[in-house]
Amino acid sequence: MPNPILVTPIEEEKLLRILWDDDQLGDYPFAYLRGWCPCAVCQGHGGERRFIEVDNPQLVSIGMVGNYALNPRWSDGHETGIYTFEYLRDLSDRRESQSENRAKG
Amino acid sequence: MISEQDIRDQLKRITYPGSSRDIITLGLVGEILTKDGTVIVHLRPSSATEEVLRHLTGRITSALSAVPGVQQVTIHSGRPHGAAAQPSPMVAAPALTPLPGVRRVIAVASGKGGVGKSTVAVNLALALKALGNRVGLLDADIYGPSVPLMMGTEATPRAGQDKKIYPVEKYGIRLISMGFFLDDKSPVIWRGPIVMGIVRQFLRDVLWGELDYLVVDLPPGTGDAALTLTQEVPLSGGVIVSTPQDVALLDVQRGIAMFRQVNVPILGVIENMSYYVCPHCGEREEIFGHGGVQKTGLEVLGEVPIVEEIRTGGDVGKPLVVQHPEHPVAQVFRQIATRVMETDVATLRQPQRQRG
Repeated sequence: MPNPILVTPIEEEKLLRILWDDDQLGDYPFAYLRGWCPCAVCQGHGGERRFIEVDNPQLVSIGMVGNYALNPRWSDGHETGIYTFEYLRDLSDRRESQSENRAKG
Repeated sequence: MISEQDIRDQLKRITYPGSSRDIITLGLVGEILTKDGTVIVHLRPSSATEEVLRHLTGRITSALSAVPGVQQVTIHSGRPHGAAAQPSPMVAAPALTPLPGVRRVIAVASGKGGVGKSTVAVNLALALKALGNRVGLLDADIYGPSVPLMMGTEATPRAGQDKKIYPVEKYGIRLISMGFFLDDKSPVIWRGPIVMGIVRQFLRDVLWGELDYLVVDLPPGTGDAALTLTQEVPLSGGVIVSTPQDVALLDVQRGIAMFRQVNVPILGVIENMSYYVCPHCGEREEIFGHGGVQKTGLEVLGEVPIVEEIRTGGDVGKPLVVQHPEHPVAQVFRQIATRVMETDVATLRQPQRQRG
């Protein structure tokens, strides 16, 4: 599993930038990251993953969970999302392929 | 006139330790102010460690001092001016160990009970100590703590300042166990959140001091205590104890899957009750079969046979490694401890220290 080397919130651009130990760089806009919160409060049980619309979420703080995940705290008070490194990589891959498709289409 | 662009161009040449990316691309550089001969560079709050920040500050200072017209360089690694009213996101440092003074945390786990996990944890801790390490042993088996009996101590941990606890010391090892806080016969009937709270306290509120290894004896299975531990501290590695038969191995797979899921490197598996050497004829009997743990594909750190001295050692509180250090099985435990020391995963996991 890739591990993050550096995690930097960039408030002016409203995104979280993560540098991984395989030198990949990922940008996570706050609204995108908040929207794909994996916790049970947001996702319920079973079924497809849902995107949670939150108006202009701000990152209040973000911390590590053990060796394997990041846990952000948002301006709407939400703080139960545990984003595993694997899930974060998946999120940035999906975002990249989306913007590629948009560029092509 | 010094232009901000000149400064940015210079900073773009500075790569982050352990990466080919520069600090501008990484977004680490925030506001840049230039006035007369003075340059002020603000670094955004990030997960960079103090050590890395010191390193970068040095490199930025020398790079910018070479720019014509620059007389003074000031670097702020806090929040930018004018934004003081807005709290900046605080980021925990991924590479930092949250247990100050503790170099490595090793979890000893088993997929099921009754495989001799605590016996192995106790003897492994003592073997690490015998090899010159400073060792702590945290008994995270809240429901069935057996470390006090095996280590032969019923001492009560002393209270320190600020609700902290001093660990009990025995055979040169610092110990904490739920057993120190219970009567012999009272059962622990607790729900998950309380168990999680206790494990957290054992990690945070115990004055461990400086340790090379904190060995954690996990309760069997993959429950609350195990989960809390993996979430609260970056574990350096996990060791899995199993008996050789296939049915135990099914549970080993669950233990392996748990460590993998939470990104904890598995150092290897220890086969306990591996075989029995008949004291009369000297023949080796493989009571539970053989070759099972090899099927896991993990490194076999050692095979611990069934010998009476291990059992009696545990029962009377004088573990084999301290009671009979010359015993061949004590030698097996020292070999396992040596392997654990060799696989110093902690350094592998921090590429910025290796390459930077």
